[in-house]
Amino acid sequence: MDRRDFFKIAGGTILAGTSGVYAIRRLTGSIPGSTVADSPLTGKKWGMVIDLSKCVEDCTACLDACRYENNVAFHQDERWDVHWIRKIRLESKIGTTSTEKSVILLCNHCEKPPCAQVCPVQATYKREDGIVVVDHHRCIGCRYCMIACPYNARYFNFKDKEDWSNTDRPKRSHGVAEACNLCAHRIDLGELPACVEACSNVGEGAIMVGDMNDSGSEVAKIIMAEAVKRLKEDLGTEPKVYYLGL
Amino acid sequence: MRSKDILNNKPSAAVAAIPITIILLPVLYSIFTFAFAQEKKGTEQFLEMPDAVYTKCVRDTEYMRHNHWVLLRVVREDVVRYGKRGEISLKRCGECHTSREKFCKKCHDAVSMKPDCYGCHYYP
Repeated sequence: MDRRDFFKIAGGTILAGTSGVYAIRRLTGSIPGSTVADSPLTGKKWGMVIDLSKCVEDCTACLDACRYENNVAFHQDERWDVHWIRKIRLESKIGTTSTEKSVILLCNHCEKPPCAQVCPVQATYKREDGIVVVDHHRCIGCRYCMIACPYNARYFNFKDKEDWSNTDRPKRSHGVAEACNLCAHRIDLGELPACVEACSNVGEGAIMVGDMNDSGSEVAKIIMAEAVKRLKEDLGTEPKVYYLGL
Repeated sequence: MRSKDILNNKPSAAVAAIPITIILLPVLYSIFTFAFAQEKKGTEQFLEMPDAVYTKCVRDTEYMRHNHWVLLRVVREDVVRYGKRGEISLKRCGECHTSREKFCKKCHDAVSMKPDCYGCHYYP
């Protein structure tokens, strides 16, 4: 046997042995872990409709509810503030007349999320039901997603939040990027997101969330029937937050 | 002449015993301390007994002692990435093991490991 043959046989044996052991352990179930195939989320596609004609200008019910529910780090200081959902004023000028509008902005939960594409550790990813989530356990704080997001929906935790408004939910320690997760914990239990609940309780019910694959849902009906707009549709990110009266 | 005699003689048992005891000393020390610790074990409670809300833990004690981190990691992956919100959660741990100072921290301090769960998750 020459040197070349020896390396061929030795390498082949080691490769076959290790992969064989891994395959056996995987098949017999001694390596625990789930796969996408047995996820209960398949077949759904959560979308949101925001009716701006119902949205009251000075109302901050959804913002407050979100900050309380998700322990969002809000320090009243624009350098460190994190916004999962925020309100801005848009001014459109046609000729001499100008109209102002207050618009709610949040993560658009794109069908092709640029933030998930650039994430080097797959911390940001799209769940089977279309919600774009950040796995803060994996996030290394590189902030690529903040650069990639065309909607500026992502914020970085520069500073820890000290108080703990909702002890049932985790907060984020400093050094991770975060964005709206459409209250995935509530949706999994069959409830509505905090902002939707607050809007229907306090305001006019301007925000709606529903399954877009289910043609009977309110959201799917509005998207089919009315003139809805999405933000920056030309980028091809296919956002799932639809605006009425934008 | 004299030194040559010593070299030619076989070493006595007493001379041979010295390096052997030096080598065996740490082994004997660990055996003695282990035996001593075994006697003491029954008298002192290292971990606080759980405030039993549930009569049984989610897995048996022996499994939890060695593999609780595997379980927590698998559950974390299931919940965050696949949306399987089952009955196991850090919140449920807290229902019986009410204090992290008296439960988690005891062993983790002893082996100087710092789990970073509590930067984000609430545990009293």
